[in-house]
Amino acid sequence: MATMKPVIEVKDLVKVYGKRSTAFTALDHINLTINEGETVAIVGKSGSGKSTLMHLIALLDRPTAGTIKINGLDSTKLKNRELNQMRNKNFGFVFQQFFMNANDSVLENVLLPLKIAGGRRKTRRKLATSALKTVGLEERLKFKANDLSGGQKQRVCIARAIVNHPKIIFADEPTGNLDSATGEKVTDLLFGLNKEKGVTLIIVTHDEDLAKLCDRQIRIADGELVEDGVNKKRRGRPPKASQVKNEVVTKTKRKSTKKTEKSDVDKKEIET
Amino acid sequence: MKLGDIIRTANQNLLRNKLRTFLTILAIFVGSFTIILNAAINTGVNSFIDEQTASLGGEDYIMIMSEGSASAMSSMMQSNEPLEYNPDQTITAMDSEQLEKLKEIDGIDAENLYIARQIPVEYITKDKNSKKYNVTVGAMPPGDFQIATTVGRLPNRETEKYEITLQAGYPQVLGFSSDEEAVGETVTLVVLDPITKKPAEYKAKVVGVQSQGVVAVNGAVVSPALEDAMYADLTANYPPEQKEMVYSVQTRFDDQKYSEQEIKDKLNENGFVGLTISDMMGMIRTFFDVIMVVFMIFGGIALLAAAIGIINTLFMSVEERTREIGLDKALGLSSGKIFLIFSIEAISLGFWGSLFGVAMAMVLGYVADNLVHMPGAFLEAFPTFHLVKFTPWNILPIILIVVIIAFVAGTLPAWKAAHKNPIEALRYE
Repeated sequence: MATMKPVIEVKDLVKVYGKRSTAFTALDHINLTINEGETVAIVGKSGSGKSTLMHLIALLDRPTAGTIKINGLDSTKLKNRELNQMRNKNFGFVFQQFFMNANDSVLENVLLPLKIAGGRRKTRRKLATSALKTVGLEERLKFKANDLSGGQKQRVCIARAIVNHPKIIFADEPTGNLDSATGEKVTDLLFGLNKEKGVTLIIVTHDEDLAKLCDRQIRIADGELVEDGVNKKRRGRPPKASQVKNEVVTKTKRKSTKKTEKSDVDKKEIET
Repeated sequence: MKLGDIIRTANQNLLRNKLRTFLTILAIFVGSFTIILNAAINTGVNSFIDEQTASLGGEDYIMIMSEGSASAMSSMMQSNEPLEYNPDQTITAMDSEQLEKLKEIDGIDAENLYIARQIPVEYITKDKNSKKYNVTVGAMPPGDFQIATTVGRLPNRETEKYEITLQAGYPQVLGFSSDEEAVGETVTLVVLDPITKKPAEYKAKVVGVQSQGVVAVNGAVVSPALEDAMYADLTANYPPEQKEMVYSVQTRFDDQKYSEQEIKDKLNENGFVGLTISDMMGMIRTFFDVIMVVFMIFGGIALLAAAIGIINTLFMSVEERTREIGLDKALGLSSGKIFLIFSIEAISLGFWGSLFGVAMAMVLGYVADNLVHMPGAFLEAFPTFHLVKFTPWNILPIILIVVIIAFVAGTLPAWKAAHKNPIEALRYE
């Protein structure tokens, strides 16, 4: 699916928090290009700067120096209003903690980006219903968001992320709060979208297994890009849902000893 | 986000924590209720005072006396003891020369100059066999003087007929079963010639009955034809130079051109003293105005407390909804619109609080007004005096002011919400 048309071009990206003596360089001269239809995993330890990188390329924050081009457009030159519109029209977001309005209906949650965009109410409903159909939750549209299970919640969030037909989906630890079975479902959905609709997928994770499912892994350590590896095996061959499942299962088995060690680290990271 | 969606979102947010919203509205309600009830009482009292003022002749009415008469009158009114004779302070009539001089003064309506006469009516009665009662009578000065009536109307100024509008209470003592009954009937007025002591009888048709007032009206109002006839009979045997003696005149002044003080100064220069409506009504108004100001301050303090309540409520709301705000911003909602959502929440609180305040003030105000007009209650005798009066002009500005106060109170939390960093907001636990 991946073509060579770049959707994101990052050049000499620097992000510094604080000033003078307390200054902390979160990202140090990052350069990377992401092509349309690619699936990219941004990996790294907690505090490595991977989230900061995601926030910057998702235009949720402004860099200290450097440029980010989205579809060839220099985002650092855009006004806040234009950035808001860019996110609203072209990006979809999936978060580890879901971020749903617990008392609103599933439908209301899904159509939030359209409501922000200001479209017609009828159109919103239609698009939201079809997005819910994609994630297989069309019967739940009247449910209160709070009454759903974790996996269903994340699927609703995916519906919300795709309701505006975005070009890029940013997923921040999408499976982090899910058990492995529901996590698989969510992963299947995300990769399915990439395969079927050509959506560029950018996943921030420290789950190596999830990262390996992506075309590319960008590793960040101490604010620097230490590895930009193309997964040869995956290249041009997005997995089918069943394949993904198998792959995950086998890998989980193979790495079972390592995994237990790592999960302690994971927990710590989540807590911080 | 469209304005409709913003308003809907704001109101949904308010309904999320119903108890808190209710309590905040309650605080605004208390302040608005106090102020609105107060304003309604103020309007009620003022419209009653205005009605009384109109019975004296309106804002441009002026009563003019000679300087000597005025100072004698004011000395007498201010002193409880008999005053020693002072040639400069005696009640002196104006002569025709002075009257002409008065007519020349710019701003004085010479055409409508009305010479107030005193008609010492001996008594009023229904017919020869009925009881006799004291009464004072006078014609209405020209112009749009108004005296409220419970039934009927005021005497026609142009008619040649003898017409009379009785004061409240007279129909009953004269032997009519009600005010309505008296209208159209005839009453007899008797005047005694002060020199010959010969009585003269006048039959006047009752055309109306006045409402009770707090400001004494001249008495029964009669048609000028009747007044002239009685005056002619009274003074028939007077020496000629006394017939046209004038103690005071009533007229209008040009209140567009001169202020009250200016016209008074002009009169003073010419040896006259003028009394305006404000001189006569000023005291009553000042008294009520002071009470109103005190109550307005109470209401204002209550509103201030309510405004702090709004700030508090919205700050809590901003804290609770931090992640939601973060999500909205991440999904492209602008800071301006987030500010608007919170501002509309504040405005809604103010609007509903003040609306309930108005509703409650209206209900209680009208109930109280009915109670004080019940038989035996203290305002029974004043049917035209309404304790409260609600008009769009006293309701709408107050609602608007409360809404503005609420909006201003909401700006602080709204600003805080609008300036949340989406990343930090999403991380908020």
